[in-house]
Amino acid sequence: MTINVENVTKTYESGEVTIHALREATLKIPDHKIVTILGPSGSGKSTLLNVIGGIDRFDSGTLVVAGQQLEFLKDHQLTDFRRKYAGFIFQQYNLIPTLTVQENVEVGRELSENPLDMKSMLEKVGMYDKKDKFPYQLSGGEQQRVAIARALIKNPQFLLCDEPTGALDEVTGKKILRLLKYVNEEFGTTVLIITHNHGIGAMAHKIIKMSSGSIVESFDNESPVDPEKVTWA
Amino acid sequence: MILRKSILRTIKEKKFQYIGVVFLLVLAVTLYTSLSMAISTLDQRNRIFKNDYKQETFHFMTREPLKNSQLQELESEYDVTLEERRFQDLDIDQDAVLRLFNTSEEVNVPFVSQGVMPQGKNEIALAKVFAEQHGYEIGDSITLAGTKAEVTGYVYLPDYIYMIQQQSDLLSNPDQFGFGITSKETLVNIQGEEQIQVIGWSETNSVPEGMRASVNEKSTLLQFVGHEDNARIQFVENEIEGAQTTITTLPLFVLALSIAMVLLLMKRRLDLQRKEIGTLMAIGYRKNELIRHYLGYAWFVGLSGTVLGTLAGIGLSIPLSNLYAQFFNLPSLSLFDWDPMVLVLGVATPLGLLLVLTFIVIWRALKVDPLTLLRPKEMATGKKSWLEKLPVLNSGNFIKRFRLRLMVRSKWRSFYIFLGVMFSTVLLFFGLIMFNSMDRLVETTYEEIYTYDYAIHYKTLMTDTDETKDGISPYTSSEVEVTTENDTNKALIYGIEPGTEYLNLSSEGEKLNDRLSEGAVLSKPLAAILGVSEEDEITLTNSLNDEKRTIEVAGIADVFIGTSIYLPKSEVNEFLGFPGNAYTSIWQGQKPKMNENIFMIEDKQKVIESFESNSGATKSSVIGMAVFAVIIGVIVLTLLTNLIVEENSPSISLFKVMGYHDKEVSKLVLSVYTPVVMLSFFASIPLAVLSLEGTMNSLVKETGFLMPTEVSWWMVLIGFSVITLTYALSLTLSKQKLKKVSLQEALKKQQD
Repeated sequence: MTINVENVTKTYESGEVTIHALREATLKIPDHKIVTILGPSGSGKSTLLNVIGGIDRFDSGTLVVAGQQLEFLKDHQLTDFRRKYAGFIFQQYNLIPTLTVQENVEVGRELSENPLDMKSMLEKVGMYDKKDKFPYQLSGGEQQRVAIARALIKNPQFLLCDEPTGALDEVTGKKILRLLKYVNEEFGTTVLIITHNHGIGAMAHKIIKMSSGSIVESFDNESPVDPEKVTWA
Repeated sequence: MILRKSILRTIKEKKFQYIGVVFLLVLAVTLYTSLSMAISTLDQRNRIFKNDYKQETFHFMTREPLKNSQLQELESEYDVTLEERRFQDLDIDQDAVLRLFNTSEEVNVPFVSQGVMPQGKNEIALAKVFAEQHGYEIGDSITLAGTKAEVTGYVYLPDYIYMIQQQSDLLSNPDQFGFGITSKETLVNIQGEEQIQVIGWSETNSVPEGMRASVNEKSTLLQFVGHEDNARIQFVENEIEGAQTTITTLPLFVLALSIAMVLLLMKRRLDLQRKEIGTLMAIGYRKNELIRHYLGYAWFVGLSGTVLGTLAGIGLSIPLSNLYAQFFNLPSLSLFDWDPMVLVLGVATPLGLLLVLTFIVIWRALKVDPLTLLRPKEMATGKKSWLEKLPVLNSGNFIKRFRLRLMVRSKWRSFYIFLGVMFSTVLLFFGLIMFNSMDRLVETTYEEIYTYDYAIHYKTLMTDTDETKDGISPYTSSEVEVTTENDTNKALIYGIEPGTEYLNLSSEGEKLNDRLSEGAVLSKPLAAILGVSEEDEITLTNSLNDEKRTIEVAGIADVFIGTSIYLPKSEVNEFLGFPGNAYTSIWQGQKPKMNENIFMIEDKQKVIESFESNSGATKSSVIGMAVFAVIIGVIVLTLLTNLIVEENSPSISLFKVMGYHDKEVSKLVLSVYTPVVMLSFFASIPLAVLSLEGTMNSLVKETGFLMPTEVSWWMVLIGFSVITLTYALSLTLSKQKLKKVSLQEALKKQQD
């Protein structure tokens, strides 16, 4: 599957100011790769991730994901698109506090026609022993593992991670990165990671740099490093 | 859906809120189901008894009894069934009167619920409530005017469903009056004044036109009562009709409070979980799946509320039906005598309303796109309402500004508190006014205006001057038709001597007897039915000869019972075609002796005692209303203040971190709605008076009486104390929650 972004533009109004969130962004993301989108706050990286994931609309341009031209999809079709192809991981994990670890993962499992096995998924993210715990009983890193399991269990084609390590310390953050790399290798899932931590770019197959809504640089990384060797900024 | 698990856990976590709304719903459904079941039981029993046991269409009494041939003539001319029935009023157990009838066979057929019909000599069957009240059981013997008789059973009569001695009586009191049946032979053998009436039944259930005049031609009519004017029959029908308003209004209001609270909780839940909703939408949950999920809260509240309410309602309907059975002599003629639709409506209406309205709230919340939901709300809206921009909210000290802002930011909550307090206040004042009005009614009508002790009604028109000696005041009374621009109604005209000492017509202390020379004085119920006031004109029609007379309304007296018109006796006699010195009745202070000329004796003291014996029931219902008002008030106010604490827990926590004491924080956050509570209380007082007046006026045509609806200072004081205590109790309960808000709450929220 290829994600094909062509001249995608997105603006929005904030008071009397027009903000150009994306300016004719163009890029191609090959299947089964890890891609990092780097840039400072307000550079448009989250907007780019959101439009690719179908949770935000754009004003002009063409965006093809999994063979579907997103600008032509209605709201309910976008929902089905996300349900079928996308997995989301958020900086604040966004788990449901009243559900246990296993139940939170079950939330994702229910959406899929061919979900992965619950037990092995929990084992793979290292949360099987804590499957009956509630989110408030877990550390930040553990909560993020659950969020990853929730995203992965439905066997999505791509994983969209918005600052997945933003709220974590280096040790925990690296554990999460290792997990993402494992997911990519084990399931062939395309992983898009947004981060302002430039060091994380070193583990990606492709690095995209953004500034003021534009893609300023996009290049392939011939020798991605192990997450352990990522420089933590 | 796995998400369902979160519903039960959330409910468990916020149990107070959900138990509160379920309780409100249970109250609404219980009220509706119990009242509806009791009333539908009453209705069903009344209909069956009326039809199967041939309830009379009319009855009449004539000066000379009609012969059988005359009755047959009338039967064939008007296509009715007529039956002569004899009765005697017998004093038993000192103060009680037993009206003993001979057993009728074609009209007003008796129903014996226990024991057997009296057939042999000296056998009688008694009305069940009367027998119970006086301790007579089947097989007991009873002494009637010196004759011993055996009680063979308990009996019901279709024309004595509401057991009152006189048509003008307001309250049924089995302690003072009851009926029984016996054979004609036994009745003849009992020493006493036997009276004869004719009871009639028509297939069309209406009095044939011209029949009344036709009877009058054969023998002077002393009394002719159609079923629609027969209080003993009509009272139960009025009760059924009047209860429909109570059955629907009261539960609907509680239901509205309950649904509004569910919607507030739902909105709050959706606000709290907006990030969760955004996440679920982002990962691919469809809107209809989320709507189904969040509707789970409404299903939980709705199902538990309606099921528990229905069960409680069924349970409560049993004592309520028994209570009705004390007032209305209706036999249980079938095992299943209530309408099953009551249960369907009791469950379907609240559940349906709750689900539809919650659906709208959820649907509106889910209209927002997932990205907006994923952002914090302040960033998503971030706008101040026009109310918040008012200069008054931006002046004064911090505490004042904070409290005012909190109040205007949740307008719906202020409105909800306003409604809740209003409901409690109106309910409380309904009880207080009614409690007071029974006393006022007796005091003004029976003590200040009716100053006689006995009213004696004669069988014939009297002109005998011996009767008009000192201490006796003769008057003429007859039924007339009163016509106004809009309507025609029946009323009782009284021709009185304006200077009589036994009737002090007055209005708010102002004497009206002198105004009789200017026109008619009306009783309050009649004025309300006709919709007339002083100086309006009314037209009177003599029912027997169709003669008409138009007169001016000179005053409206504080007579709260009966549809009466008072005029000078000479004028009434002239209008009715009677001699100038004629009279039909007298008032007097001394207890009269019964003689053959007397048709009926009315003992005012018995009427007063009857009212007083019922004041216990009134007191209980007032206490019941007050308790109900307090429960509703406490639930509504506590739920709301609790919600406020929950919503403002980050601010509360921050205040605590900054060094504010619990008491100061409570003042800042909790007692914000005090002005709303006070405003609602005082605004609700006139509303209670108006709505009670409206209810009384809407029923006055059927009931024939009005309740004085005055508010006294002591009522305001009691009402204010009850509402203030209710509010204080809810604040105390919420303060416990406020104390539990941890200092880390502010930090946690900032991390989110």
